[in-house]
Amino acid sequence: MWSVIWHRFKRSRLAVVALIYVAVIAIIAATASFVAPFDPTTTDLAHRLAPPSEHHRLGTDDLGRDVLSRIALIVGSFLGAIAGYYGGAADWIVSRLIEIVLCFPFLFLVLGIVALFRPSLATIMIALGLTSWTTEARYVRGEILRLRDLEFAQAARASGARDSRIIFRHLLPNALAPVLVSASFGVANAILVESALSFLGVGVPVPTPSWGGILSVAQQFIEYAWWLVVFPGFAIFTTVAAFNVIGDRFRDALDPRSD
Amino acid sequence: MIAYVVRRCLYAVLTFIGITIATFTLIHAVPGDPITFYLSTHLRPSRPALEAIRREYHLDRPLVEQYVYWAKGVVTLDFGRSTLDRRPVSERILEKLPNTLLLNFIAFLLAAMIGLPIGLWSAAHSGRALERTSAVGFFLLYSLPSFWVALLLMQLFSIRLDLLPLFGMTSDEYPTLSALGQLADRARHLLLPVVTLSYAQLAVYARFSKAALTEVIRQDFITTARAKGATPAAVMWRHALRNALIPLVTLLGLTIPSLISGSVIVEAIFQWDGIGHLYLESILSRDYPTVLGLTVATAIVTLFASLAADVLYAIADPRIRFGEGRR
Repeated sequence: MWSVIWHRFKRSRLAVVALIYVAVIAIIAATASFVAPFDPTTTDLAHRLAPPSEHHRLGTDDLGRDVLSRIALIVGSFLGAIAGYYGGAADWIVSRLIEIVLCFPFLFLVLGIVALFRPSLATIMIALGLTSWTTEARYVRGEILRLRDLEFAQAARASGARDSRIIFRHLLPNALAPVLVSASFGVANAILVESALSFLGVGVPVPTPSWGGILSVAQQFIEYAWWLVVFPGFAIFTTVAAFNVIGDRFRDALDPRSD
Repeated sequence: MIAYVVRRCLYAVLTFIGITIATFTLIHAVPGDPITFYLSTHLRPSRPALEAIRREYHLDRPLVEQYVYWAKGVVTLDFGRSTLDRRPVSERILEKLPNTLLLNFIAFLLAAMIGLPIGLWSAAHSGRALERTSAVGFFLLYSLPSFWVALLLMQLFSIRLDLLPLFGMTSDEYPTLSALGQLADRARHLLLPVVTLSYAQLAVYARFSKAALTEVIRQDFITTARAKGATPAAVMWRHALRNALIPLVTLLGLTIPSLISGSVIVEAIFQWDGIGHLYLESILSRDYPTVLGLTVATAIVTLFASLAADVLYAIADPRIRFGEGRR
């Protein structure tokens, strides 16, 4: 199944480029402290507002952190699986929970949580997790609902497997693909939200550099240091676009009707 | 039909209770005395004054009772007073609301008027070179961080070309202008915020309407229409489009929270005096009653909008009202 998906995925050259790009960014982010010629937290006064001929790198640790914030994926998948498998009361409760979360403007909730509990990496991740699990939950619920009465699930049930075994060993692995699609979109969204938070001054505390934080500072120098505005924004844009392209291509590759 | 509407309304009441419980829990999950929510951080009131405030907000009562008092306030749109100027939160929200509505309404119209036709066109011409290119284009558009776009637009149109104002809602000389001049001045100030707010929405509408129409085209009744010899145009306009427009109704409810989220960023950058700006200001100055009031108020507006969308959907599509319960 996976080889078929990969084969279809490969057909889009753009998606392959996006995948390579994300891999490169991830490697840079992971090894940044070895690669970067300058310590990002110290100030280089002599080269203040210097044009982009400098060796200062573009990247930060946004990526790793945002992947971590996908812990929501586990919570969402779990709740979605329970709702889809058992239906009835469990489904009703999870559906109402999702409805409640969706009523809040996403950014209000994230900003509110981060501000109430003091801005830090942990709070941002928790805030993103609390608000974004609904996407995975809805995807998984739909998938499990479709899978639970298929022959292989019935066979497992007939051979006396417990519910938890049917859900985790048989159903969830088969529902994983659409979750990965939503995870790809989710990472894109998380990067956007995190950079927006840093830009608004409510994000990661100041000495830790992040793309949004750079832009927030850049805004003050907009009249005479255009490169400060252009490059960090471009870095956010290309990374977000790469994740979106991967997610989109992946979704098409999974769609049996796409051929 | 009536049974369906009644059931949806009951769900809405439950969701409302859920919204208030979630917000209330959030206040009390924060470490420390909840009284700090109602006090500005610069204030150090005396002990009797503190007790008086405690009583004013019923903080001396058991938790459940506190919740009931607070929820009662929410129902009557009483969110308490701002810690900044002691004015009622609802009053502060209502005075900023028109500015946000103006900005969002124009952005919404613009995005829908451009996005929907493009989406429908893409579905009808799926797979063509131009359609594929435009799909990638929308994807890139959707990935652009709005605050970056705003900064670039300001850089280009306000600083380089000096065509449009950098930020604000009106110029300094606004009161002295003629009626027509005032209108033009407002329009000039609206242009960049509206563009920033609408481009991402536009991409969403285009994708959504394309998906809706594609879904309809795949169905049997379209094949039937083609088979009986209807022209492609008739199939599109008479059969497909009508059915594709129904799911678009749901966008109504979904759009409001995302527009408000976008509003926070756009209003902050362009110094637009709306509720998004108010929210960020309240967060930064730790004016918690205003933060909570705004959060609950917008959630309730969204709740009403999605309730309205659900009812409209049921009127338009009989399968929903009869098929409920086993979706």
